[in-house]
Amino acid sequence: MNFFKTFKHDTWVKPYIKQYKGLLISVLILGFFTVLCATGLMFTAGYTIDKAATHPYNILLIYVPIILTRGFGIGRPVIKYIERLRSHNWVLKITSDLRTRLYKTLESDASFFNEHHKAGDIMGLLSEDINHLQDLYLRTVFPTVIAYIVALVASIAMGFFNPSFGFFVLLLCVVEIVIVPLVSVAIESARRERQKALKSDLYTKLTDNILGVDDWVISGREDDFKKLSASTIAELDASKDKSKAFRRNRDFVLQFIFAVIMIVMLIFTNIHMTQNQEMANFTAAVFLAALQLSDTFVPVSQGFEEWPQYRDSINRLNTVQPVEPNLPEQVELDPKDFNGLDLENVSFEYSSDSPILIKNFTQKITKGEKLALLGPSGIGKTTILQLILGDLIPQKGTITVNDLNVQQIQDHREQIFSVLNQNPFLFNTSVMNNVRLGNEDKSDSEVKEALARVGLKDLLDSLPDKYNTSVGENGSRFSGGEQERIALARILLQDAPVVLLDEPTVGLDPITENALLETFFDVLKDKTIIWVTHHLQGVNHVDQVVFVTDEGIEMQGAPDDLYRTNSHFKELYEMDAGLEAD
Amino acid sequence: MIDKRLFRLPGTKRLLLMLAGLTFLQAFVILFQGKYLADALVNSWQMKPLQSIMLPVTLFAVAFVVRHLLNLLNTKIVQYYSGKMSEEIRSQLLDKVYNSGPQMISERGTGNLVTASLDGIDLVENYFKLIFTKMMNMSIIPPVLLVYIYFQNIASGITLTIIVPLIILFMIILGLAAQSKADEQYAQYTILSNHFLDALRGLPTLKMLGLSKRYVKNIYTVSDEYRRRTMNTLRIAILSTFALDWLTTLGIAILAVFLGLGLINNQLPLFPALVTLILAPEYFLPLRDFSSDYHATLDGKNALTNILSILERRDTEDTDKLDKLTWDKDSSLEINNLQFNYSDEEKADAVSLDVDHLKLSGYHHIGVIGKSGSGKSTLIRVIGGFLTPEHNSNITINGQKVPHFTQRNWQKELTFLPQSPYLFSGTLAKNIAFYRPEASQEEIENAADKAGLKDFINTLKDGYETMIGEGGRGISGGQQQRIMIARAFLANDRHILIFDEPTAHLDIETEYALKKPMEELFKNHLVIFATHRLHWIKEMDYVVVMDDGEIVEQGTPKELGSHEGAYSDLIENMRGDTL
Repeated sequence: MNFFKTFKHDTWVKPYIKQYKGLLISVLILGFFTVLCATGLMFTAGYTIDKAATHPYNILLIYVPIILTRGFGIGRPVIKYIERLRSHNWVLKITSDLRTRLYKTLESDASFFNEHHKAGDIMGLLSEDINHLQDLYLRTVFPTVIAYIVALVASIAMGFFNPSFGFFVLLLCVVEIVIVPLVSVAIESARRERQKALKSDLYTKLTDNILGVDDWVISGREDDFKKLSASTIAELDASKDKSKAFRRNRDFVLQFIFAVIMIVMLIFTNIHMTQNQEMANFTAAVFLAALQLSDTFVPVSQGFEEWPQYRDSINRLNTVQPVEPNLPEQVELDPKDFNGLDLENVSFEYSSDSPILIKNFTQKITKGEKLALLGPSGIGKTTILQLILGDLIPQKGTITVNDLNVQQIQDHREQIFSVLNQNPFLFNTSVMNNVRLGNEDKSDSEVKEALARVGLKDLLDSLPDKYNTSVGENGSRFSGGEQERIALARILLQDAPVVLLDEPTVGLDPITENALLETFFDVLKDKTIIWVTHHLQGVNHVDQVVFVTDEGIEMQGAPDDLYRTNSHFKELYEMDAGLEAD
Repeated sequence: MIDKRLFRLPGTKRLLLMLAGLTFLQAFVILFQGKYLADALVNSWQMKPLQSIMLPVTLFAVAFVVRHLLNLLNTKIVQYYSGKMSEEIRSQLLDKVYNSGPQMISERGTGNLVTASLDGIDLVENYFKLIFTKMMNMSIIPPVLLVYIYFQNIASGITLTIIVPLIILFMIILGLAAQSKADEQYAQYTILSNHFLDALRGLPTLKMLGLSKRYVKNIYTVSDEYRRRTMNTLRIAILSTFALDWLTTLGIAILAVFLGLGLINNQLPLFPALVTLILAPEYFLPLRDFSSDYHATLDGKNALTNILSILERRDTEDTDKLDKLTWDKDSSLEINNLQFNYSDEEKADAVSLDVDHLKLSGYHHIGVIGKSGSGKSTLIRVIGGFLTPEHNSNITINGQKVPHFTQRNWQKELTFLPQSPYLFSGTLAKNIAFYRPEASQEEIENAADKAGLKDFINTLKDGYETMIGEGGRGISGGQQQRIMIARAFLANDRHILIFDEPTAHLDIETEYALKKPMEELFKNHLVIFATHRLHWIKEMDYVVVMDDGEIVEQGTPKELGSHEGAYSDLIENMRGDTL
């Protein structure tokens, strides 16, 4: 069964159960006591009535059960309340540990981002997975363990009076809380998986439907538009109907088994507890107590049902493994000493069966030089930047900073390189905090000065919270151009000699783009810049333009030289600037 | 609590009647279950032999099973109903998207609509369950049981009657307290709860800044702070469940004591006492069921409200006011006093449109330029019939007055090429034949050839039968645009081309390569081309300059370029410094 396979090499669930053991045990004990109080309440209430019906001469004889009834009556909600708080506390403590670990693991693996950035929002998925683990404990593990303890204790208590009855009840309990749940997982697991796939398929189809509605409306093909998702919807609904029917019938079966347990209890009490009146006073008590157990037993199957979802989460988390850094001995390089970057005969491919992305790429960049890198998308321009940073290692050729291999300066590489890409990441905190991340030793006034240099002073001064304005989720409080500027201020504080720009202006309109490029090349004029771009706007700012294609370097040179000597460049440039002759 | 519109949905009244009948039956079965159980227990208490309890035990078991059968039936009916209803709603939603789609989508957002038709409908199903099953149980089962209990023992009846309003009162008070506490912390709370995801997504940035290692400590501290705050809120939030629990168990405890004292004093026999005690938890059960996921199902209500508000949105009317149209070199289109405003308040700062006069005719090529946010796209989308302008707008097509451009016969003449091409999942051939699904293979290949796709298609293993992933993923932006161009070539029965910044995201060489086929396409078409790429202006014979939703200048590029004005300013700003 895949249950055991999932946990065989698991390192995300098992080890943590041992953590905060005291708290965990207290949660389980409290859960057990909640059930005990619920049954105890009906037990003592039943006894009180039966006993009172014998008309005892003294009211004091039912005094103890009366007190106990009240005690259990108050105890149940109180203990349940504490149990819920403690279980949440335990789970949230574990969550903090899991989050720290996930972060550390991802941090150790720089290439993770490169490999996985295609797979959609992997970060969102992983962080959701940790939330799923919370539910695994709260909705499945705790209720199940408590139900098992209760079933065991109840059967043993009965077995004390009559072993065969005890055994029979235990058997029925096993069917109720072990067999049926397992069967229901086995049956539903595949179906759930199919539904999940269908749902995500439908999600894409509906999104496509809606994104493409303009085209469909114009085409006049209304029926085809609706047919696009119809079959998926029909299949999903059919599958869901099956799940619902299964669940209804299963719940009925569970109640039926419970009815059998209840009949056994009635017969048991009649046979074993009717020797004398004192014992007979307990018949209603025992039965009414047992009747309360359905609340504990029935949810077990529901908890099991969610297993496929947990399994996916556990499996995904287990694929994230820490990577041992495999760096050569690290060397300190004073940023002031930086004097050049050298790529020599660099070749790179992601894996041996994928095509060679970069073939014999050679480029020398001296200190203070500004280089623009152009080429169609998918040609590996960003990959070149990752190679320069040392996040990727070329299969052939070397990349050196001064005379050091770039792998030798990874420990303090932020002192040499800074990066600005098309969607600079801003943390959901104030502008001030975001910029200061560039260098946490800088004073408030230095941060403000950097923001003034990138041209944000007026804007920020006009906002009610000024420099403490929150940037919002993903920086959404500010426009694309403004976000670039905030990120640029951060880079100014970082003050590394080499700045890598990865299409920072893509998607901006030309006026914003021009203004931004002016600012970039103005404030970064002392830096060495490698700028990946997709067209020629602002190319006048650089010393060197390199056009790469999948064949290699197509043309290269100073922009005004190329303009004079290379007709293709001239054509491209004039088209870009709208200068071409009619 | 209940959305009144719910009862206007077809079949709801019959459903309610049926469920009411079922629930009544269920209430009586519960009564029997309790009664026969009490019989059996009284007999056992009287130490009668096993035979004496066999009949009551059997009847108890039958009642128990029938009760759950009724429950099963009830669930089945509600699920059948809600399944049918959500199918209906989903189909109506798609109709709606098609019929008043583009405008609605721009008001509501794609995400909202997809969520409404997927997760929203699941939530609505839960809501139906709450309203139809749980509400029904709550309003029928306890009263029936209570009447019976009054007949058995008046004091118990009174006790149970008094507790219910107390429970409701406590839950309201505590619910409100929890709400205000939660509201107080909400903003901080969401930041803290999203902090982890924020940090994960920002990890590459932290790494670039050399902070990623130190940040580990921060992760733990914030996560622990989140735990602390969650616990603080939870302490109060689950108090309302606590109150419900406490009052119901306490009610049962008090009942037991009263009954015990009554028995001692010989005021009543054992049977009524026992049956009351057995029925007391059943009396509270519907209330507990209802409140346990009350909050979760409130989401369902919101989802339903959202969906209904989409469905109740009025479709664009009068879409057949234009006679059959074939645009040719003598056709003309005149717009006077065209106004458009986004109705949604959230979009209040989006560009509204106010065009005094614009005349397009024959196979002219009209460029629409302006800085971002100037209303280029809005104008294009109004002309495409995707947005409906205000009533007083004056539009004349070939001398015929129409209220708006959402005319079937107008749209049949259009080909639309947006910034991000839309490719639906299917073969490449089918995508090219989008406007003319009946086109022959030869025609398709011909169009592909004109769009410069032939070489690319020849490299594909399956050629024209290659499946294109949903939304065209896996195909480069340049090839996607070429497929759109092939589509337009094939649709030679459509004579108006509308472009919305088709090359904005492409690299310069790809754009360069696309230029030729596009120029070819322009021939014998009315072209309306919104762009901020300067070189396209050369291909235009008329330019409209937009600013702040208005046309600030229009004329031939030559006229406009010959004097200082909005056009010349814009060109200069867009071009920037040159070599």
